[in-house]
Amino acid sequence: MSRKLSSTITSLAAMLTTAWLGSLIPASGQAPAASEAAPKTTTLPALAYTPDGQPDIQGIYARRGIWGLADDEREANGPRGKEDPLEDDEYSELPDNPKPWFQGSGKNFSQGGGGGVTLAGPAPTEPRRFGLVDPPDKILPWKPEEDKKRRDFLMHTNPPASLRNVEYDARCALPGLFLNGGPFEFIQAAKEVVILSEYQHYTRTIHLDGRPHLGSNIRLFMGDSIGHWERNTLIVDTTNFNEFTGFTRTIPYLSDALHTIERFTVVDRNNIDYEVTVDDPKLFTKPWKTAGLYRRGKDYEMAEFACAEGSQELVNMFGKPPGQ
Amino acid sequence: MKTTSNKRLVGVDIAGVAAVAAVLSFMQAPAPAQTPAATKASAPAVHKLADGKPDFNGIWEALNTASWDIQDHTGQLGIPPGMGVVEGNEIPYLPAALAKKKENFANRKTADLTEANCFLPGVPRITYMPYPFQITQSAKAIAFSYEFDHALRVIHMEGQHPDPNSFLDTWLGDSRGHWEGDTLVVDSRNFNDQTWFDKAGNFHSEALHVVERYSLADADHINYEVTIDDPKVFTKAWKMSMPLYRRMEKNAKLLEYECVFYLQEERYKNAPFTKK
Repeated sequence: MSRKLSSTITSLAAMLTTAWLGSLIPASGQAPAASEAAPKTTTLPALAYTPDGQPDIQGIYARRGIWGLADDEREANGPRGKEDPLEDDEYSELPDNPKPWFQGSGKNFSQGGGGGVTLAGPAPTEPRRFGLVDPPDKILPWKPEEDKKRRDFLMHTNPPASLRNVEYDARCALPGLFLNGGPFEFIQAAKEVVILSEYQHYTRTIHLDGRPHLGSNIRLFMGDSIGHWERNTLIVDTTNFNEFTGFTRTIPYLSDALHTIERFTVVDRNNIDYEVTVDDPKLFTKPWKTAGLYRRGKDYEMAEFACAEGSQELVNMFGKPPGQ
Repeated sequence: MKTTSNKRLVGVDIAGVAAVAAVLSFMQAPAPAQTPAATKASAPAVHKLADGKPDFNGIWEALNTASWDIQDHTGQLGIPPGMGVVEGNEIPYLPAALAKKKENFANRKTADLTEANCFLPGVPRITYMPYPFQITQSAKAIAFSYEFDHALRVIHMEGQHPDPNSFLDTWLGDSRGHWEGDTLVVDSRNFNDQTWFDKAGNFHSEALHVVERYSLADADHINYEVTIDDPKVFTKAWKMSMPLYRRMEKNAKLLEYECVFYLQEERYKNAPFTKK
């Protein structure tokens, strides 16, 4: 622990001079993501700030509430019963209360997320909203023909009929925004928030410098993310996805028309509310929302998650490719 | 990986300190006057962060042919010619290791796992592959993110290397960083023996110890120096050095080179394969 006291003082000074300015200046070129009003000043938690005036959210986190569907959500979004090729093989379970989240498998690389992370503090006292929060009936607004395609796709996933039907996890592919529960590490540099993931060892850079989105011919697993802070909420607009972003096993792909708006709302030093608006006009008749919570961990170092280097999954599924 | 204690030594072990000291004494020699004066005059001064550290944030890339061969080499079909990045050009291989290097070269099309299978390329090779990388630096953390294979190195500024006897070896090593003045020194161990330094078969064992030194020549150029030590392969430690260049394009950012995914799309496009 060699951090100098002087740097803390410098940061404090920067915070005092720039925090409020930074939080009040809208990012250029970015329309507000939604019509939801910013929280009242009186609700702002006591936060530290980075030298460029962002609420300081740096550190290790795990996330729950996003990956997978709860039982009632799966029931609402089938296939069901004998038609369900995945049976009860869904990844994620959503506990009724946040307490047991990190006492699961204990595996460092638990795909449920953050199994090895020790929490830095308690969960928020108020109940949170998790999983599919809009529409209220949890039935996603599929275009009927696209829902039919999806159900047909699912019937060819076990065993996979082709490479396209293989889950991205088995391919060691980048997981998009949803198929990962952490651990994550947040680092903030000037005009950017960088999210590192242990799972699949990737980096998401959220640009806060007012730049436009990439040209539409550039397609990315993780999309192109542009953000801005509104008081204690980081709002991130992401486009340029490829067609390989999965949501859950039951919703195995979204399209390249995907457009997400994420809201990271700092609740307190140890908790960040997370809400994603999913707009994919190729697949759905209207946008829908999912929600979760990032919880701060402590005493954790991100380790190397080498996947493709050891994986035999595709060979086991399909046999060796010719010439290999 | 869970940390076990908050009582930690800052920096590297004794061997690392010795290597660092050796490089430091080299650094104090006068720099050769090879930088064009015009470049020097227009280069902006190094920016400092609020914590007083030089600001390495941004997108960087090497501009040389070390990815093909870290030593001097003539051009061949598909291989750009280049002056090497090894100081003195000679690599002090043990006799058996030199034979292995030549065998690697002969078998390079399949034996180089980075080329053949898109596997993580090790350190320092990841630095000078022809893809950009990003340094993210705050007072709290430093990370190196690479476009190739979305590779990631979190530079731990506290703690020590794990005991290799109780820790799985890694493709990119366990990286511990510390500051020596304005130089970021990254000490990496716990490597596996699967990666090469280039496509020409230069290799190492799991005993590899890499010390990288990043220092800003100006705001847009990094002097990058690497000390390689591996007593199972080399008779003594040796060094590479090269400049790293800031990508100056407006809104430069890392994209994705998903080598593994592209390779799967090619190899498994007709899967499932008929079993004999």
